[in-house]
Amino acid sequence: MQKFLRHPVVDTAIKALGRNRLQTVLTMLGIAVGVATVLAMMAVGAGAQRSIEQQVRAAGLNQITIRAGNWRPKITDSDEAVAHQGDARESLRHPLARFNDDVQPIAFHPEDDPMEKHDHPTARQRLGDLEAGLGSAATMTFDDAEALRQLPGVQYVAGGIHENVRVHLDQKRWFTRMHGTDVMMPSIKRAWAFAGGRFFTEREQDRAAQVVVLGQIVADKLFGAGPSAIGREVVLWNQPFEVIGVVTSATWVVQPAVGDDQFDAVYMPYTTTQRLLNLSKLNDITVTAASSGDISRLSREITKLLRVRHGIGDNQPDDFTLITQATKALTAGGLPPSVARAVASNVAELEKVTLEQLALTMERASRTMTWLLAAVAAVSLLVGGIGIMNITLLSVTERTREIGLRMAVGARGKDVMRQFLFEAVVISAAGGLVGIVVGVIASIGIARLLQWATVVSPLSVALAFGIATAVGVFFGWYPARRASQLDPIVALRRD
Amino acid sequence: MIAVHDLAKQYHIGDHVVHALKGVTIGVAAAEFVTIVGPSGSGKSTFMHILGCLDRPTTGRYVLNGRDVSTLPPDELARVRNETIGFVFQGFNLLARTSALENVELPLLYTRQGVVKAADRRDRAMQALEAVGLTDRAEHHPNQLSGGQQQRVAIARALVTQPSLLLADEPTGNLDTATSHEVMEIFARLRSDRGITMVVITHERDIAAYGTRTVDFRDGLVVSDKSTVARTPACAG
Repeated sequence: MQKFLRHPVVDTAIKALGRNRLQTVLTMLGIAVGVATVLAMMAVGAGAQRSIEQQVRAAGLNQITIRAGNWRPKITDSDEAVAHQGDARESLRHPLARFNDDVQPIAFHPEDDPMEKHDHPTARQRLGDLEAGLGSAATMTFDDAEALRQLPGVQYVAGGIHENVRVHLDQKRWFTRMHGTDVMMPSIKRAWAFAGGRFFTEREQDRAAQVVVLGQIVADKLFGAGPSAIGREVVLWNQPFEVIGVVTSATWVVQPAVGDDQFDAVYMPYTTTQRLLNLSKLNDITVTAASSGDISRLSREITKLLRVRHGIGDNQPDDFTLITQATKALTAGGLPPSVARAVASNVAELEKVTLEQLALTMERASRTMTWLLAAVAAVSLLVGGIGIMNITLLSVTERTREIGLRMAVGARGKDVMRQFLFEAVVISAAGGLVGIVVGVIASIGIARLLQWATVVSPLSVALAFGIATAVGVFFGWYPARRASQLDPIVALRRD
Repeated sequence: MIAVHDLAKQYHIGDHVVHALKGVTIGVAAAEFVTIVGPSGSGKSTFMHILGCLDRPTTGRYVLNGRDVSTLPPDELARVRNETIGFVFQGFNLLARTSALENVELPLLYTRQGVVKAADRRDRAMQALEAVGLTDRAEHHPNQLSGGQQQRVAIARALVTQPSLLLADEPTGNLDTATSHEVMEIFARLRSDRGITMVVITHERDIAAYGTRTVDFRDGLVVSDKSTVARTPACAG
């Protein structure tokens, strides 16, 4: 740095700028405002982009769930889902009893819809390795999950076993959902946050450890506002489990609610479930696509792969069901069930439409702000640039004799040009640095005051600085060129 | 050293054509001390600019050290100015708010080898200041120096690249008589000690007397060219 500052070009520039200190500082301020605005603009843009992505992920738009058995998505589930806390005896109803006009199996399986319904036969009945007459619904295996993991475009794969359980804490008990799942789950559930503790580890999964992660609702019901649940012991299936984490929603869009199947639930390694319930099959496999737009293609690939793996002939129906958010969204959107079903099964690119709609809404909101900031940035950079041109011209005029002298002792046109260009760049770069600081503060301010997500990335900082420097070069060019083309004799004679 | 043949220079000022030089032929041998006299507008300054490679003649040839420099492109002329020629001006032309030492270093920023290293620059500038007897003023700024001292700094600056030709355009014009003689004695000494060729423009007869030869310009032409017995520098040897 010391060496750099003592370089003659640098030294001369700093001295020259010191001569017109006020003008230099004012010009710098202009650039700083411009750069700060550019940075804030990019932060708002990137923030909006990120919230879109988060919403997309939180909404599970890049998820595909493959369930054992062949079912169409259920049409109305909101009322039933909440009602499940009612009478536990209800769960002993025969699975066929819940079929009504809205839910119709395409191909018959004595398998229910385990993610949403709690009144179904026990996992042992459903997933036991005993063959179950009519053709077992227990078709999904861990090997299937491993095979899916190999598909290109697949991000995460998690196998799952789902069960209704009573969680006991001393005299208290809570009837809820148990998800035996994979360590990958938190990566899939983007909208998860840990209120305390952690998810289980790969090691605990390998050992089939008796550890459990409670959903926020379960933790509240059992432990209340009292001491932390972490490290305490709860009992499921008469077995002790250590509570290692409490999971809650990371987004205000989704609030934990009783019966929501996500936070009114407990999570444990699927290996633990398999060990304790003596199972080897899976209820479902959740796959996330690396790219949300890839869902259609991936769905086709998965179907093809599983049909081959399960040895299903060309004219036979699938023994599994693919569920994407698009199909769910459609059925939840108030369409008549029959129409929804028809659309869901016939429109291949459906999830893209849903995605675009979501993204569009958010983009529209952020675009107004981005354009406003872009306009401010453009104006302030232009004004700052003109300021730079002005101060550089002033400097050239003031120092005409000096330029003449430098030329007389051997400076070439390009030496002179470099000198003045450098001065312009020093102003703009210094303004840029100030602007970056202001811009970062502004971005944080926008996030705090307007509740608007902002993201300041190193790339945007580098870009903002680059723009500042470019403004210096662009607006310094003309005065510097003029200086370099001075006739030394004329310049020397100037007073 | 210098061979000028039929040098002419015309300027266009509006519709008028000004013939500043109308055909000057002159030769200057190495280590000569030429003083140029003549009234204002006689073309002596124009002649000096051409000699100094700050300007190019309209017609005619200028051969410096055996090389025709009258048609060189600007960057090459800059190189000649840097390496071969030292300039001293009437108004000193020192950079304000810059120490004497840094002023002297200036030409070393523009050598063909690029910027001379800082330590090297300092050494060479100090040597040049020593030649004009100003080592004790190295850190002074021009406004802290007397006129004579400023001109000596300017001479040191002209010397720092060790040129073989020193051109001075009325170097004593802004100085009092005593200081003028001090400056001229430095020139005379540089010539006799280092063999530097001197070309000095002056108005004053007693200053011109320092030269080994006096050339008289009038209306763009040389009207007289006399060798004289050079005044011995008072403190030479």
